[in-house]
Amino acid sequence: MNEKKIRVLVAKPGLDGHDRGAKVIARALRDAGMEVIYTGLRQTPEMIAAAALQEDVDAVGVSILSGAHNTLCPRIVQLLHDQGMDDCLVLLGGIVPQEDIAKLKSQGIAEIFLPGTSTEDIVRFLRENVKPRE
Amino acid sequence: MSERFGTTNERTLKLRFHTQTAGVSLTVQQPLNNIVRVAIQALAGVLGGTQSLHTDAYDEALALPTDRAALIALRTQQIIAEETGVANTIDPLGGSYFIEALTEKMEEGALDYFRKIDAMGGMVAAIEKGFPQREIQDSAYQYQKAVERGEQVIVGVNKYAMTDEPAEVPTLVIDESVRTHQIERLEQTRTTRDSGAVANALEKLKLAAHNEENTMPATIETVRAYATLGEICSALRDVYGVYEEPAF
Repeated sequence: MNEKKIRVLVAKPGLDGHDRGAKVIARALRDAGMEVIYTGLRQTPEMIAAAALQEDVDAVGVSILSGAHNTLCPRIVQLLHDQGMDDCLVLLGGIVPQEDIAKLKSQGIAEIFLPGTSTEDIVRFLRENVKPRE
Repeated sequence: MSERFGTTNERTLKLRFHTQTAGVSLTVQQPLNNIVRVAIQALAGVLGGTQSLHTDAYDEALALPTDRAALIALRTQQIIAEETGVANTIDPLGGSYFIEALTEKMEEGALDYFRKIDAMGGMVAAIEKGFPQREIQDSAYQYQKAVERGEQVIVGVNKYAMTDEPAEVPTLVIDESVRTHQIERLEQTRTTRDSGAVANALEKLKLAAHNEENTMPATIETVRAYATLGEICSALRDVYGVYEEPAF
């Protein structure tokens, strides 16, 4: 059976330059057989949404360690929605206080992965939750 | 420096360095353990002769640090400096076979990198080829894999993990008011500064960047004229463009 490869955009929004995690995740997803596009640093939500559309991805993995997740994440979800990408999963990784998690999920973040998460858990989550395409 | 570049200036012969404890070693799980990690890493930096030291706060894997956590990070340095006595000796580990052997190994590794980078035509060419970036990424990835295989132990994460962890530590909450306050300050600055002087200073900075001169004096001028960081960066972006990372 030849399944279509899962396509993921790994994105670093905002001014935070901590890209070690994003790059480790990008490589782990690629090694798990997914197609991965990495945006590089200092992206705006608009740039990320445009890249997601252009690359026709199944999921966007956002990495934020600056504390700006409450501002940036809802904006990315909204922009994806505006361009008809409601099926595109938005995942968040980085430094996210416990108190923010429920709210972010209610705003459309599919899952939040904190430091210490195994890359295998992220791969499994994507395989189980990316919607199969027609 | 003297052999390769023939310098006779004593200041350029000094190896001055800064040390920061490893953010990647901080854990969300059992976060008070991070105090111990930071202390051990900071001690290693001091034993290695560092002149400048940054100790991370124990809650930095959870949120931006609280004042309390930042204070412990400072006290950690003060305990090392003033209680332990390690700073009373220039090289407390000098003569230790094990440490000297490791130092030699590290030195060989560094020289090996110098040779590789020289062969690529220098550091700028190596960065353009993505060489140092790839080496760093490889090392980060191998570390993560070793953690996941359990070969690299992280106490509280892949060993001695607890299902019901002790009570959480309080974390810093930053609300929207910080943002609105900063925007107000910015507006205030923009309306009271001499906008002609700002424009002039930014033009001078662009010219310096364009002519490949030292941009520091022109940068200081822009700051004195109350140009914002955003305006200064935009001026430089106009000249240099934006660095794009090579694909990993």
